[in-house]
Amino acid sequence: MSDAPAAKPATGPEPAQAPVKRRGTAQQKLLAFASLIVLVIGFSLASPNFFQVSNIMAILQATSVNGVLAVGVTLIIITGGIDLSIGTLMTFCAVITGVVLTWAGAPLILGVLTAVATGGLVGLLSGTFVAKMKIPPFIATLGMMLVLKGMSLIVTGTRPIYFNDTPGFTQISQGSLVGEVIPAFPLPNGVLILFLVAAATAWILSRTVLGRYTFALGSNEEAVRLSGVNTDAWKMAIYALAGAICGIAGLLIASRLNSAQPALGLGYELEAIAAVVIGGTSLAGGRGTVLGTLIGALIMAVLTNGLRVLSVAPEWQTVVTGAIIILAVYGDQLRRGRAST
Amino acid sequence: MFTRRTLIGAAAALSLTAMSSGAMAQDNMYVALISKGFQHQFWQAVKAGADKAAEELGVRVTFEGPDNETQVDKQMDMLAAALANKPDAIGFAALDSQAAIPLLRQADEAGIPIIAFDSGVDSDIPLATAATDNVAAAALAADKMAELLGGEGQVAVVAHDQTSRTGIDRRDGFVNQMEEAHPGVEIVTIEYGGGDHLKSTEITKAILTAHPELDGIFGTNEGSAIGVVNGVRESGTEGVVIVGYDSGKAQKDAIREGLMAGAITQNPVGIGYETVKAAVAAAKGEEVTGDIDTGFFWYDADNIDDPEIAAVLYD
Amino acid sequence: MSDLIRMERIDKHFPGVHALKSVDFDLQPGEVHALMGENGAGKSTLMKCLSGIYRPESGRILIDGKEVRLSGPKDAQDLGIGIIHQELALMRDLNVAQNIWIGREPRRAFGRIDEGKQNRDAAEIFASMNVRMDPTIPVSSLTIARQQMVEIAKALSFRPRVLIMDEPTAALNDAEIAELFTIIRRLRGEGVGIIYISHKMDEIKRIADRVTVMRDGEYVGTVDAADTPISRIISMMVGRELSDETVTIPDLEGAEVALEVRGISRGGELKDITFDLKKGEILGFAGLMGAGRTELARAIFGADPRDAGEIIVHGHHARIASPADAVRAGIGYLSEDRKHYGLALPMDVRANIAMASLPRYSDRLGRIDERKLAEIAADYIDMLDIRTPHDGQPVQLLSGGNQQKVVIAKWLLRDCDILIFDEPTRGIDVGAKAEIYRLLNDLAAEGKAIIVISSELPEVLRLSHRIAVMCEGRLTGILPGGAPQEEIMALATRRDSMTQEDAA
Repeated sequence: MSDAPAAKPATGPEPAQAPVKRRGTAQQKLLAFASLIVLVIGFSLASPNFFQVSNIMAILQATSVNGVLAVGVTLIIITGGIDLSIGTLMTFCAVITGVVLTWAGAPLILGVLTAVATGGLVGLLSGTFVAKMKIPPFIATLGMMLVLKGMSLIVTGTRPIYFNDTPGFTQISQGSLVGEVIPAFPLPNGVLILFLVAAATAWILSRTVLGRYTFALGSNEEAVRLSGVNTDAWKMAIYALAGAICGIAGLLIASRLNSAQPALGLGYELEAIAAVVIGGTSLAGGRGTVLGTLIGALIMAVLTNGLRVLSVAPEWQTVVTGAIIILAVYGDQLRRGRAST
Repeated sequence: MFTRRTLIGAAAALSLTAMSSGAMAQDNMYVALISKGFQHQFWQAVKAGADKAAEELGVRVTFEGPDNETQVDKQMDMLAAALANKPDAIGFAALDSQAAIPLLRQADEAGIPIIAFDSGVDSDIPLATAATDNVAAAALAADKMAELLGGEGQVAVVAHDQTSRTGIDRRDGFVNQMEEAHPGVEIVTIEYGGGDHLKSTEITKAILTAHPELDGIFGTNEGSAIGVVNGVRESGTEGVVIVGYDSGKAQKDAIREGLMAGAITQNPVGIGYETVKAAVAAAKGEEVTGDIDTGFFWYDADNIDDPEIAAVLYD
Repeated sequence: MSDLIRMERIDKHFPGVHALKSVDFDLQPGEVHALMGENGAGKSTLMKCLSGIYRPESGRILIDGKEVRLSGPKDAQDLGIGIIHQELALMRDLNVAQNIWIGREPRRAFGRIDEGKQNRDAAEIFASMNVRMDPTIPVSSLTIARQQMVEIAKALSFRPRVLIMDEPTAALNDAEIAELFTIIRRLRGEGVGIIYISHKMDEIKRIADRVTVMRDGEYVGTVDAADTPISRIISMMVGRELSDETVTIPDLEGAEVALEVRGISRGGELKDITFDLKKGEILGFAGLMGAGRTELARAIFGADPRDAGEIIVHGHHARIASPADAVRAGIGYLSEDRKHYGLALPMDVRANIAMASLPRYSDRLGRIDERKLAEIAADYIDMLDIRTPHDGQPVQLLSGGNQQKVVIAKWLLRDCDILIFDEPTRGIDVGAKAEIYRLLNDLAAEGKAIIVISSELPEVLRLSHRIAVMCEGRLTGILPGGAPQEEIMALATRRDSMTQEDAA
């Protein structure tokens, strides 16, 4: 179209525009992964009981619920939002599943679908508050967090619902499909589900329109809106997807405990957010990876388990965990600072 | 170059050097205690009893519990981590018995004996349970309350939980004893504050507003009892007889000041002590069965300083 | 008499960039010395070395003939070097005097701030500038131009001997610029040396004594401002001669009307605006700041709600309530603020080009056809001559002109045939401007209908086939292309009410 292109400088791009981005993300994942390896090696050297199949499985099992929640909230954090209701939403989904399976006696598959659907619908509601009613995400989901906690207690009459009448329910988290194939590697199904959820979410983020808009909303929401994209609808879809993922977390925790514990859930949102942040996702939005989140969740679980295996006093465990969160994010800042000047 | 890797590495190394002393003592027998919490004074007293037994018997004991009593899955992770360390015996205070069964079974298969403490575990895997007979203890609280009210009046219960064994036993022990032995005393309401000071305070104030004629309130654990005292104090009501449960500095002060008539104390030091003792015996292959009643006492302003009582109270 | 400032052989590297290559610069007392160059030429870096923000790797800085070491902004301040940054650095929620004296508040006993003295001192500075300003009003209630005055007052409060001004007129209208120049001349009279960074040639001619030009981190030369023709300065900047084209107005007699705007109103900002736009036409919108041109564009595009008025696209009534509706009708809007409203800066070139068209390049599952998008991105990079190493480059690393081309590509891909350009060359350097102009002409020649909003009159004159002029939310007239500047200014200042307070 341009008939006489202007004289192109021979150098092409200006030297300041070196392609740093791709290398940056790869390096960041590598760093997080290296931290995880260092932790594992450190604990293995410190205690012979740490690096054993049963303990590694225990760590993975402990990662599964927090990991799934963290993957879900990663989506929302990339849009520049936050969801504080994921912990109690997880519980609420577990409770509704309990109602469907134990009280109504529905077949297992219906219970699974119910959990995911409940999460999706509640997420859609949160998304509506944020996108349509323009309530800041922190406030909207803080409200939802309390509403859901109360609803779980109301629905159950504050008593746990047990899944003793649903054969196979505990297998969702505790069984091991992998172990049936490879007996030496009894990977719990809960962990398998975590990996599947993470892989699917990573795929959505990198390959689909929804994923593209997730990053775009976090980078510059107004620019996306002015591109003629219905930003409200996409945002609601992202919250709904995150909610559905919380529904899966609800299934995992209910299966693990063979019960829906209505009082549980508060505080889980912060652990999930911590995993996301350790994984290098920016709370400012626009940047983040599922793999990073997964590694972040593993770092937290390894740390907690390792400190326990070393018999560190529980008071000190929390101090160390908190310090690691700050150090991890600070290390990330240092690296970024170096990259940007 | 100061990266996250070096930072985390440094932190890990630091924790390793700090902890290696604990991990080294492999020769001794090792007992892992998984409790329902560790922050409350009650659990610290249990821990003190456990440490005392450990010292006497020459074994190593670790003590852990989640931040609050709703975190059932966190307790499972602790139990799993404890199993990784291959203890000689485990002491376990279950937040939810059913949820723990797969892991308990795993311990059982590994040949690790389990002693339940504080509240029972609904399973035949634990060899014994070291606990307060909460029903009997709460019944004693009912007797004392009725006595203080002269056999008639209106009473409310601020309970800490309606799902856990202790919550149910204390509530029912108190309520049933009132109905059977003291028909003149009416229980007008039972509310649940989760053992949280602040929530129990608000609940108490609400009860006092709803029942201005109220004569007495029973708080079923430390947090609930302190909440009741605070609530009565804040609302400025006088003449309400408060009966508490457990001890702790605030509750003891309230009794000394006369705000609280008296309280039931369990013997948390005894719980910890007996648990470790039973665990060691079981690990050595000795016969350990049944319930170990760790005892309870009524204490008020008159006997609070008796050596026998003072020994089981904690701050 | 020695130089006030002398910088010799200043060298500075950043990772991957040799930002300053042995640059020389000098400043005399009582002189306005313009520093010019395209974006990225090294002007700001040089000034940051002078104001202590960066430390040069080699070279000397002499003040009054004595070599100095500037290890931080504080050192520079103490030596009497003041800088007014391009981006305003004011605290919006504090008042004017608080902003000026931040960090140096007059104290009373017990750490109390002497607000009275602070306000009196601030008022004194404004009096010396001959500017009317209440020191106690919050900065957030001031216009950008008035905030600029506060910045200048703040810099003057340090009693500087050297004042660096980085594009001080970017947000000012003509009256305000004249006012600023009065202040600059007074300071010059008092012996203050002023370093003036700007892209605007006419300003340089009006205010500067000497001009130093930089290109690609190198010193090109210093010339006398009065005697040197603008074309020579430009060729020094871009390293080549630019032809000064004038607009050629095509015959659009028989062309189809692409867009009809009928009676658009919105609050006090837009009052009953009606105009037509033909296919192949470039309609320029001129006016002073705050005339409502951007507001009009946003109202047509559905970005802000309208109170009244209708929009007819290709003869059909279009219901436009959101940007999504406008895009569906084939209207694209290129905001004046690309970084905030046009681009997702951390995302790459390909993703930004595809931003408005993703559903077309994805399947039912929502999977994006990256291979197709890569082809498309390659086509546009080639067609618009977007200079980027590859389509995976984050757009924040591109220069302003190339960022603008990415936005244009986005709308072309979306098949928009009505394009609204709001300040298309803001922040774009001289060489790239000419390219953008040629691009707009090409688009019009292809039959796109184009609206160009610009605050730079030469730009409007050079591009527009017709010129619409706005004042205070009203369309005060439409002139033929190439109309005399005086006529445009007359329409741009034809006020309905004279109640509006003039800036100072």
